[in-house]
This record gives sequence, structure tokens and C-alpha cells, in this order.
Amino acid sequence: MNIVLVEDNILLAQQFRRTLEKSGYEVYVSPHAVGAIDLIDEVHPGAIVLDMLLIGSTALPLLHEMQSHDDLARIPVIMVTSLADDLSFESLKPYGVTHLLDKTSMHPEDLIAAVRSVTL
Amino acid sequence: MKGSDNAQQRGVDYKSLSSLMIAAHELKSPLALLRQLALSLESEDLSESERREIAHHMKLVSERALRLTTDLTKAQRLEDGLFTLEPINPQQLCEEVAYEIAPLYRACGRELKVTRRQRPLLAIANKDLLRRILLNFADNALYYGDEMTPVELSVSARNNGGIIRLGIRDYGPALPADMWQSLGAGPRRPEQLHARPSSSGLGLSIAQQFARAMNGTVGTTRHRNGASFHVDIYASQQLTLI
Repeated sequence: MNIVLVEDNILLAQQFRRTLEKSGYEVYVSPHAVGAIDLIDEVHPGAIVLDMLLIGSTALPLLHEMQSHDDLARIPVIMVTSLADDLSFESLKPYGVTHLLDKTSMHPEDLIAAVRSVTL
Repeated sequence: MKGSDNAQQRGVDYKSLSSLMIAAHELKSPLALLRQLALSLESEDLSESERREIAHHMKLVSERALRLTTDLTKAQRLEDGLFTLEPINPQQLCEEVAYEIAPLYRACGRELKVTRRQRPLLAIANKDLLRRILLNFADNALYYGDEMTPVELSVSARNNGGIIRLGIRDYGPALPADMWQSLGAGPRRPEQLHARPSSSGLGLSIAQQFARAMNGTVGTTRHRNGASFHVDIYASQQLTLI
């Protein structure tokens, strides 16, 4: 199962990638939204793990773009951010966000559990 | 009584409070990463080489966070004037900065190149403050440049040799206009914190304070495929006497 990870912190991206790969997922990383769209088109992921603050933009343009395509709108999005306290999960749901994980308090297993729950 | 009046009575310093919140935001990211790495060491089934790599990353991330805390402390103490300006070789300093930050760049799969000069230049600066400005720029370029592209550090003379420019060029997405406009405005208020995604601009604001303390300036150039950040400082006239 392919997962697209959109995370601009290179070392954190490496960490999440290692965690997901150990659980059997194939992980493709983009540090910004523009690259992520190309990657999503290319690998047709089962889920997207998305940071909110990215290089050059927030995640919102990417979420908007995905919602404008029927096939992309169906891909579940797991948002992993240090801004979880400032975001409303309810307001993100219409954008396909199924989970909102807080980088400052989450456990690696939370990420695996969230991905598993949407890719089973 | 209005809230602000109340706050004034209690002696709340909003400027300090804003800076504190921005600093807290900046430190959140490396601390969250350190925690993830520690949890991974604790709970994941890792090979010996993976353990060593994670431990190395923890060292690099903590060093990066400590650089920021030291910068913040130094920025607060600039007014004490406890630093000296002296002639320094900017090319050599660039080499030292590139060497110092190379482990972090390598861990991120990036490279910091120093453009070599034929003619030596001398600048008047405080070596530690200038080093910190360059480390700041280098750190910024690492996270905002595109993967697989080098970051370039260079020294050039301007204004007929009266000014020395030390600049860092990265190749990545262009910065939003609001970020550029905000440069020079000092630390931003919390409500402006996300004008540039992923960054509060605190590092650049500190760089600007350090540059001012050396009678220098910090500037930026926006490119179609990235950005340049530079610091301009006065050249030493010592070489002209030779």
C-alpha cells in the first residue's frame, strides 16, 4: 500500500517514513504541496499523511485541489501537525481529513493506527 | 476596566510576551522531533545502524535548538555592547560555517557549497555574531530549499570594495510576498506567526539584530526558483594599506 507523506522537516519525514515502512507501507515523501500533487497522481496512495505548515504554503491549497477532483477527494488524509490545538477537526473533515494528530503528543503507533484504520 | 488597562496595571510586557510566544513556537518543532526520535528508540524494533542514525539525528536537532536559544540570549544582550568588532576574513568564516553545519546538511541529504574567491577580502565584524547570522541563513536554506539542490554560500565586494556581502542562495519555492514585506519589521506578533508557513521569521529577525549591532544590514532577494539571504558589513581598509 502506497502512502504519500507531505512533510517539510526532512528529519521528521525520515522518522515517519521509517515508522510506516516498518509496518509494511511504501512511503513517498514530498516537502511541499506542489510536489505532493504530482506524487499523488503518480503513486495513487491509499492515504496521505499531511503536515499543515509546508514550504511555500500551508496544506490548505493542497486539500482544496484534492477536493476538486473526484478521485483525489476520496483519498483519506491524516493531518499530523504541531498546530493541532489551534485547528478544528470538524472544519477539516469536509476536506477528507480523517484524523488530526498532534506532533507534540502523538506516539509513532498513533500514526500507524491512523493509517491502518483508513487503509484496511 | 479594559483588558489592556488591566494588563498594564499588572505590568504585562506584551512585546516580551510576543517574543516569548514566537520563541516557544520555534522551539516546538525541534522538541517534537526529539520526542518522536526518542519514542522510536524506546519502542521500535531497530537495527544497530538505525539506532546510531537516530541518536545522531537527536544530537543534530538538539544542537539546532540550542543554537536558537543561544541566539535569543545574545540578542537580548546586544545592548550591553559586550562584543568587539575586528578585521576578519569572511571567506574563512564561510568555510568554518559550512564545516560546522555540514553534519546537519548531510543528515538531510543536502550540501552547502562555498564559492571560492581569488582575491582575499577583510571585513569589520564580530566573528561570533557574523557566524551566527550565517548559521541562521544556512539553517533557513536547508529547510526551505528543494531536496537534491545545493545551497551556495559566497562572499562578494560591493560599493567599490567598501561593503562586504556574505550571502546564501537556495533553490526552492519562492517566498510569499507577505514574508518579504515583513522582513525588517523585527519579531512578529503571534497573530502574524504563520505569515510564512513553517516559520515565524524569528531566525531572520535575530540575524537582523546581530547585523545592526555590527553596523550592517540583512537583505533578501527573491528568485523564481528560491531565495538569497545576505548580510552586508563594512570592509576593513587594512588591505588597502599594504
